[in-house]
Amino acid sequence: MGVNGVNQVISSHSSLLLRSVAEELKLPLLQIGREAELQNLTPQDTKANFKLIQTNADMALLLVDSYLLGLELNEAQAELMLEPVSLSGVLNDAAHTLSQFAKQYNATFELASSGRYRPVMAHPAGLRAALLSLGYALVSVPPAESRRQVLLGVHQSSRGLVAGVYGDFETLAHIHLRQARLLYGRAKQPFRALLGGSAAGVFVADVIFQAMHSNLNVSHHHKQAGLAATLRPSKQLALV
Amino acid sequence: MACILLLEPDVILSNIYTEVLQQAGYDVCPTFDAQKAINTADECSPDLVILELQLPVHNGIEFIYEYRSYTEWEKTPVIVQSFVSPNEFKSTPYIWHELGIVKYFYKPHTSLQQLLAGAQEQLTTIAV
Repeated sequence: MGVNGVNQVISSHSSLLLRSVAEELKLPLLQIGREAELQNLTPQDTKANFKLIQTNADMALLLVDSYLLGLELNEAQAELMLEPVSLSGVLNDAAHTLSQFAKQYNATFELASSGRYRPVMAHPAGLRAALLSLGYALVSVPPAESRRQVLLGVHQSSRGLVAGVYGDFETLAHIHLRQARLLYGRAKQPFRALLGGSAAGVFVADVIFQAMHSNLNVSHHHKQAGLAATLRPSKQLALV
Repeated sequence: MACILLLEPDVILSNIYTEVLQQAGYDVCPTFDAQKAINTADECSPDLVILELQLPVHNGIEFIYEYRSYTEWEKTPVIVQSFVSPNEFKSTPYIWHELGIVKYFYKPHTSLQQLLAGAQEQLTTIAV
């Protein structure tokens, strides 16, 4: 395949991702619009749920920024310089942001990592954006019970540190992710095993992890299923 | 008090729709997926179903087929309120009649007042 052919493939994937993100953004905009309308319809002594409006607007903006960063990192992939990144710092930051969002979904979001981890080779903003996008998608999975618990987990594997988002998604299997990758941007419900919508957060995370030479996979963490990527530890710092 | 089975997979939207329907005096049974919706319908015997077609695992059309297979629910009116666009939904008009879908709303363009008016219209028809 020539340079033009490669560019066409990249362009085609970008437009599919854009379509997926556009579909996804209808939901937070609708939530904000209907919440505002509800306040107008209800008696004046009720307090508007500004926290919901603020959080949903922030998360929608975060998805847009993550999408744009994903495109940028992919375009620069050949020259992209990964650097040692403190996983604990990124995880804490992502968990804090996602816990605010999870409250709106009557869910709890926790950081399930114990101990200290070696730095990993990543793009700092890319790693944060990928984990937030993934969390954004999986927090909104319809609850199996009245209250869902979602975890941001990290564990060691033979190939590196596995970081991802987990929950009680018992039916989640590798084939669902494979099918979703073939369908995203084309089908309205590419990740139907988990999500009713376009699941854009999953695909934005996928694109960012790919740019960082990692891969999103179905993974398990403390009996919970989820989506995670294996990150290469920094060899340079291991020698220090 | 008339009962509405609300099948809406998004928790935030489900809370908003539930609140506005309850304020209008309806009993609302919210549910998030098709399988649970059948169980919930069994418990609350709805007079009206409002549902999204795009659901995880089993979609809304699958739910309606299953729901209609029970004789006691053959005639319950169903309002579709969905992210499925008007063009996509209207390309299959034969299913409207077959599945007992009495009204369709494109969710992004439907206000709470429009949804409420649609529900009131159906429940008034039943009462008459």
